[in-house]
Amino acid sequence: MQWRSATRITSAVDVAKFLLTLGLLAWLVGRGSEQLGYQWHWRRIPAYLLTVTDGHWHAGPLLDGLLVTLEITAISLVLAAVIGLVTALLRLSGSLVGRILAIFYLETIRNTPLLVQIFFLYFVMAPILDISRFTTAVLALAFFEGAYASEIFRSGIVAIDRGQWEAAHSLGLSRLATYRHVILPQAVRRVLPPLTSQAISLVKDSALVSTIAVYDLTMQGRVIVAETFLVFEVWFTLAAIYLLLALALSLLVRLVERRLGSHGQTAWNMP
Amino acid sequence: MEHAMNEEEPESDIIIARNLHKTFPGPVAALVDFSVTVRRGEVLVIVGPSGSGKSTFLRCLNGLEEVESGSIIVDGIPLDDNQRHRLEIRREVGMVFQSFNLFPHLDVLENVSLAQRLVRGKSRAEARGCSLELLARVGLADKAASYPAELSGGQQQRVAIARALAMMPRVMLFDEATSALDPEMIGEVLDVMRQLAEEGMTMVVVTHEMGFAREVSDRVLFMEHGRVIEEGTPGEFFNHPRRQRTREFLRQIL
Repeated sequence: MQWRSATRITSAVDVAKFLLTLGLLAWLVGRGSEQLGYQWHWRRIPAYLLTVTDGHWHAGPLLDGLLVTLEITAISLVLAAVIGLVTALLRLSGSLVGRILAIFYLETIRNTPLLVQIFFLYFVMAPILDISRFTTAVLALAFFEGAYASEIFRSGIVAIDRGQWEAAHSLGLSRLATYRHVILPQAVRRVLPPLTSQAISLVKDSALVSTIAVYDLTMQGRVIVAETFLVFEVWFTLAAIYLLLALALSLLVRLVERRLGSHGQTAWNMP
Repeated sequence: MEHAMNEEEPESDIIIARNLHKTFPGPVAALVDFSVTVRRGEVLVIVGPSGSGKSTFLRCLNGLEEVESGSIIVDGIPLDDNQRHRLEIRREVGMVFQSFNLFPHLDVLENVSLAQRLVRGKSRAEARGCSLELLARVGLADKAASYPAELSGGQQQRVAIARALAMMPRVMLFDEATSALDPEMIGEVLDVMRQLAEEGMTMVVVTHEMGFAREVSDRVLFMEHGRVIEEGTPGEFFNHPRRQRTREFLRQIL
């Protein structure tokens, strides 16, 4: 078959291009470090992840940091989803106050840098409200990602056919029941892919909380670098860990998606 | 065709709509001083060219659209600003849509059961029993576990009818229930509607199916530009239309 051999050639070319790019990158880094007179000490890195003494495992600072990052990410993910959903519903509600509130929140968050928001919460709000650095970090991330999540939820909700509302209305369902049993189950399934990328953004944005001395993965990395000057090794390792985290997250969502779509058919939301 | 009237009910008019007025953005009025009364157990068929206000009238009856002036009373409950009244009417009036509007993420059984549980407060088992009975009535007992996307248009519409009936409505509204169907599926839906009429259900039917109007209805109402042009028994209406405009309309569609 001609097209088959054609695709095989194309993929072979793709692999070759990929390897070439990778090689080029490695060469660039190698040459750069050589010029800098950089001494690689990769062997020292594992100890920052995990050490074994007397048959006991000890989490190194990087692993400690990873746990903090996971904790911050998980809590703010849940919070962001709640904030996002509530904001979307407020924006779509009949209440003028609700709509204005939602729009004010959205525009403020989306049009200021996350770093400024973190500093604002940390230096202005935290002393007033007497909240910890960890809580400040979680709140900042949740409010930031929640604004984007709310727009994703809203787009999913308004994409649902008007007929669904009308059918629920004619059956006597309340607005809340209609959202809960008819609209949201359909809307959430539709917006799962964009929500996932938002969640991945959250994982990556969480690195910014290191600026207020929350000992997350990035902060631990910075400390190690400051103490040991293992600049290249540590930042490469950090990048790899974030990459794995993001990939794991999208894999997880893909599994959830497949489970949700396994109700006998996958294309039920196609008109 | 005469239907058994509910004798013990003092009120024989179940729908009283008076002087309804509604306009949409644009030059054409949807309803102009529109008044109609439907008796308990009556099957009223509304016909007319598209844009004549038939569907708008139906949608006003259960609060899907708002009238600008005029009054609607359904089974003694005025459709006014009182939210409790509106909810009551929504529960008592069933509606079947042109585009079925089944809930695609729920299977057939859940489609029929959902409102019974949420609105009528039935238990899951109770609702299930009732739903299976209704599905059997519309000939779809074997499809309870299917999803809407797996059904034909005719089957979907029959599920939609079962779903509306599950609320034990006192009035059923049919908004061009067969217009979106392939010709070979229209019959099965009309059969269910005919059966329902024979059981004495009060029905207001907007349709282009003149055969159904002629055979099943008690009264036919012809409307255009939001006004009643002519109404009468199917015999009078189809055989001896009084108005010139009615004759033209019938000539075009028959």
